[in-house]
Amino acid sequence: MSPVIKRGGDKFTLPSKYLLFILTIICIGLIIITFNTSAFNGVVNSVAGTFVVPFQKGITTAGTWFKTTSDNLASIRELQSENESLKQKVDELTNENTNLEQDKYELIQLRELYKLDQQYSDYSKVGARIIAKDAGNWYHSFVIDKGSDEGIDVDMNVISGGGLVGRITDVGPDWAKVQTIIADNSSVSGTVLSASENLIATGDLELYNEGQIHFSKLVDEADKVSVGDKVVTSNISDKFLPGILIGYIAEIEEDSNNLTKSGKITPVVDFEYMNEVLVITQKKNTGN
Amino acid sequence: MRRFIFTFLSIIVSFILQTTLFRYIDFGGIVPNLLIILCASYAFMRGDKAGALIGLFCGLLVDIFFGSYLGFYSLIYMYIGFIIGKFNKIFFPENIILPIGLIVSSDFVYGFVCYVLLFMFRNKYDLGYYMSHVIMPEVVYTALVAVFIYPLLIKINNYLEEVEQRSAKKFV
Repeated sequence: MSPVIKRGGDKFTLPSKYLLFILTIICIGLIIITFNTSAFNGVVNSVAGTFVVPFQKGITTAGTWFKTTSDNLASIRELQSENESLKQKVDELTNENTNLEQDKYELIQLRELYKLDQQYSDYSKVGARIIAKDAGNWYHSFVIDKGSDEGIDVDMNVISGGGLVGRITDVGPDWAKVQTIIADNSSVSGTVLSASENLIATGDLELYNEGQIHFSKLVDEADKVSVGDKVVTSNISDKFLPGILIGYIAEIEEDSNNLTKSGKITPVVDFEYMNEVLVITQKKNTGN
Repeated sequence: MRRFIFTFLSIIVSFILQTTLFRYIDFGGIVPNLLIILCASYAFMRGDKAGALIGLFCGLLVDIFFGSYLGFYSLIYMYIGFIIGKFNKIFFPENIILPIGLIVSSDFVYGFVCYVLLFMFRNKYDLGYYMSHVIMPEVVYTALVAVFIYPLLIKINNYLEEVEQRSAKKFV
């Protein structure tokens, strides 16, 4: 009798440690394969899409409905939420108003300064709904209800409310995964508009609760960058289209090397209350 | 067969719930880890082999939708399932404290392994912050949900066993 396969009753059974060993090898193999190539993406994503995505769509719709209904029933809560939403709206509108004014001013400035003939409003976009959010609590990524059938592809940029949300990292026939810029493993190359200096904006789990992201590697010898300055995606980013608004600088600190600065950016997008996003169906052309 | 279908469905359903419905009732952005509850409970009820396979399947689902590469979460869930499955020898359907304890510790281990592999290796050493803002809230919330889900799973398990025994008798 071989030591690997024991005879249990009248059928062959594999001892559990060998099973575990084999499965571990398979998993590690999968990690290595998917780390280097995208061999399984098509198959696995379509299978998952047919099993899970329709339900996620349904439940999200039901969940939204359920939530609104429960809000309607509890009248006190309704009033509170209404009050809150109205306040939010006032804030939003004030913001929007100032933003619009700023935008107008900036548009002129940008067109003159950077000779940009294209603002990101000119990009063709596809609207999509968020149907599922990350299963764990470590990263901020979510799944939207449109995929390769609608022409969505990996590395397309996702925006919402006029600001950068993230980019597509995985795509199935009718779903796509979006990695947000506030996720701890994401970083974006940005430009401070007022000083046209580049920086790296990185998501940070420790800043989620404050609703901010971290930035570093800002070279600002002339001290031109100040709190409140606009940060947009830079021209040198290889995944993000240039000129998409990321947020406003909230804090600046000098690094210990006295050469660069780091600090915090407040993103324009409210990641907590995001239901719909726009996918820009145009990818950055990096020349490959 | 019935058992297989039921397990498969329950995992899919809890994954869907975890990513959709529970996102609406989160506390401070933290959702309970239903998949760990399922993985640990099934492993505890059915032993290490089933635990490892169920863990693998749970992890694979997370990998497909939210992982960067296939196999990473599968590996973590599989080992948790396998180790919890070793406790199958002391499984009694009536006891609830031990399985809840096991679920809690497996969620804690899961959180800790995630921290080490995904954050510590990227030079993020503030363990205290991650402990108090992600790992512990998740563990507590998961434990709360497990108190309701585990008895349900036990009931279904008992029912399935009964059905299996009945059909086995029929053939004898």
